[in-house]
Amino acid sequence: MADWNDHENLTWAPEDLISKTSFKDLLFSDEARLIGLKGILLSLIMLALGGVMALTFRTELAQPGIQFFEAKTYISALTLHGMIMVFGFAIPMTISIMYYMLPKALGVEKLESPWAAHLSFWTILAAGVLLIIGRPDFTWTFYVPLSLRVAGSTVWMGYIAIVLVGVSEVLAGITLLNTARAWKRKTGGRWIDMPLIGWGALTEAGFLIISAPVLSLVGAIMLTDYLKITAIYDPARGGDALTFLWMFWFYGHPAVYLPLVPIIGVLYALLPRLLGRPLWSQKSGVVAFTLLFVLGFGVWHHHFQPNVTIHGWIQATFEFMTMMVIIPSSLHVFNWIATLWSGPISAETKNWIPFKFTIGAIFMIILGGVSGFINGQISINTDFIHNTYWIPAHFHTIFLGFIAQMSMAAIYFLFPYFTGRMFHPGLANLHFWLWQLGIFAQVMLMFALGLAYFPRWVVDYLPLPEWVVPQFGLTVAGFVVGLGFLVFIVNMLISARRGEVVTEDPWPVPDRLGDGVPGTDAAAEAAAPAE
Amino acid sequence: MIREESKEGGMQNQLGLMGDQAIMFSIMVALGIGGILALFMALFWPKRWQVSYRMEVYFAVLIGALGVYGALNSQSTVAKYWADVPDIEKLAVQSGNVGIDTDAKAFDRSVTAYLFQWGFIFINPDGSATRNALAVKPGERILVHVVANDVIHGFQIPAARFMTEVDPGKVRSIWFRAPEKPGKYLIQCVNYCGIGHYQMKAWLVVGDGKPGPEGSKHG
Repeated sequence: MADWNDHENLTWAPEDLISKTSFKDLLFSDEARLIGLKGILLSLIMLALGGVMALTFRTELAQPGIQFFEAKTYISALTLHGMIMVFGFAIPMTISIMYYMLPKALGVEKLESPWAAHLSFWTILAAGVLLIIGRPDFTWTFYVPLSLRVAGSTVWMGYIAIVLVGVSEVLAGITLLNTARAWKRKTGGRWIDMPLIGWGALTEAGFLIISAPVLSLVGAIMLTDYLKITAIYDPARGGDALTFLWMFWFYGHPAVYLPLVPIIGVLYALLPRLLGRPLWSQKSGVVAFTLLFVLGFGVWHHHFQPNVTIHGWIQATFEFMTMMVIIPSSLHVFNWIATLWSGPISAETKNWIPFKFTIGAIFMIILGGVSGFINGQISINTDFIHNTYWIPAHFHTIFLGFIAQMSMAAIYFLFPYFTGRMFHPGLANLHFWLWQLGIFAQVMLMFALGLAYFPRWVVDYLPLPEWVVPQFGLTVAGFVVGLGFLVFIVNMLISARRGEVVTEDPWPVPDRLGDGVPGTDAAAEAAAPAE
Repeated sequence: MIREESKEGGMQNQLGLMGDQAIMFSIMVALGIGGILALFMALFWPKRWQVSYRMEVYFAVLIGALGVYGALNSQSTVAKYWADVPDIEKLAVQSGNVGIDTDAKAFDRSVTAYLFQWGFIFINPDGSATRNALAVKPGERILVHVVANDVIHGFQIPAARFMTEVDPGKVRSIWFRAPEKPGKYLIQCVNYCGIGHYQMKAWLVVGDGKPGPEGSKHG
């Protein structure tokens, strides 16, 4: 069982860190909280940009016919939305939250190798700028040979951006790995006893350091193919598109876990902290992280239609591995629900906004996990899943429903610590409910469109009733989510200056038993699983 | 129309959400609902519960068994589907050779579909070509060799519950059974293939099976 220091380890003295920090310090300081905040701020800007792109093409799709944008503008917005959300928001946001929390949660003095975290930040920023200027229009998966042929004069910037994203991710991995190792050095403990947020960092570092170099290599080959120096991917010049697919998805499947793993680690830290009692099982979390890491590297082929691109035992192996991913995913969820169930939850905790977003995130990952299991079956995948709206439904459930919501839980949790003020609870509740309503409606309508074979990446569509009605609803739901985000930003901006001043711990250990004694060790022990 | 609904002897091949796959789908939906119920009960049901490791092991075994069952089930379904494709076709799929023999006796009709930006050309058994329309008779078993000549495309016939991704330079051979009910059924590209991707549609025309002006005008 985890050592019951979680509360102390995730508590800072509330202070107005923002006012105390110069712009130069924010950019260059080695202090973990500032490195984290810098990344969180950039990721929020990226989220806003990506969100605006989404609302742009959602407006176009509200009804059939082309109303506002020509196809090229539409697909540029769609591509930027995907790339910004994956590479600019989801991955940097969750890693930045981890930068903020990790040293404190592990009880180490500082974030190790801060130079790598800084370089990672500047590299991803440069990649983002190159992407926005280059305006690629070949979707975030940039399949060849299309991405080598539709090139405008600035598309080379997109290829360089892909190289930089890989570099940035490796650098982030170095920081996380070394910080996890610092825990080992300091405590001399067994790896199995490292707090699970550390296991999240370790797993993430493994994914980043092994897979991201392949992404950089893919970007470099695209550049040299584009410059006619090589002919590796372009079939017209003797290359093979399948080589690209194998390489890209070797990165791409672990990549879908890149934002997931750190935020799972954060959830493991936050949930017991908010409940005021330990996690149900440390061991279960370690097993789940380890299995997820091993299986995460053995499933990439399911992204390029295994029913027709491979056969025989290779196909069967990839399918089996894909289906097995449900085990570690379920173990994580089991652990969280068991933690919730194994002791009283005070009314105060239930009203905390970070707790509410945490529950919303768990709700959505259950939906996402189940849909992922369905996707993994090759036979059904060949029917209505592959490249219909079912796929964005699945990954929006995870990316928006789980990752973005859990990121919000962490930001609301940290806000009083780094501003010294409390956010406006009414606005935060409004944000919460707008997101629950909007995200749930969005993903359900996307699933419905997938079942109706609505194809991805289209600016216009046939006026079929089973397509028109959900598309309109999806646009409305998108604006509800956008409104929620706007409420969040307004709340943060106003509350950072005018919010109620916080002098004591904003998230005190709740009086779970109603006996006036908060957080007794006896109560904590009671939560341990029966052997 | 996208799909003819539940007509006996209609569009079915062995793939798709039916039979064993539908059972698995239902089990997973039930599992999802169960998970959400457990979450809300943990939050709002007053009774607290000390979950044991044994319970987690049972849970993991159950989930793992479902995974194994789902994979075996799916593999068996896929194997049945490919068993109907002649060996030479299977070899073509695996090796990616272009220019395969299309004389497949097990099928009523063997058609080659060329996909390009942003349309379809179907080469019929008699050598005639139709653009954006594939003319077949009701209930025929159709073997389609799908070829892309520029970028990666997707060839999906929702009514047939089938899609194939097709990479340039490769042949994907697939089969399906045509619907019994005459009419037009959507064929669409589902892989992003350029800014005209949204226009890349064709029609499966179920009628007398004769290509010609009737077929061509559907483009």
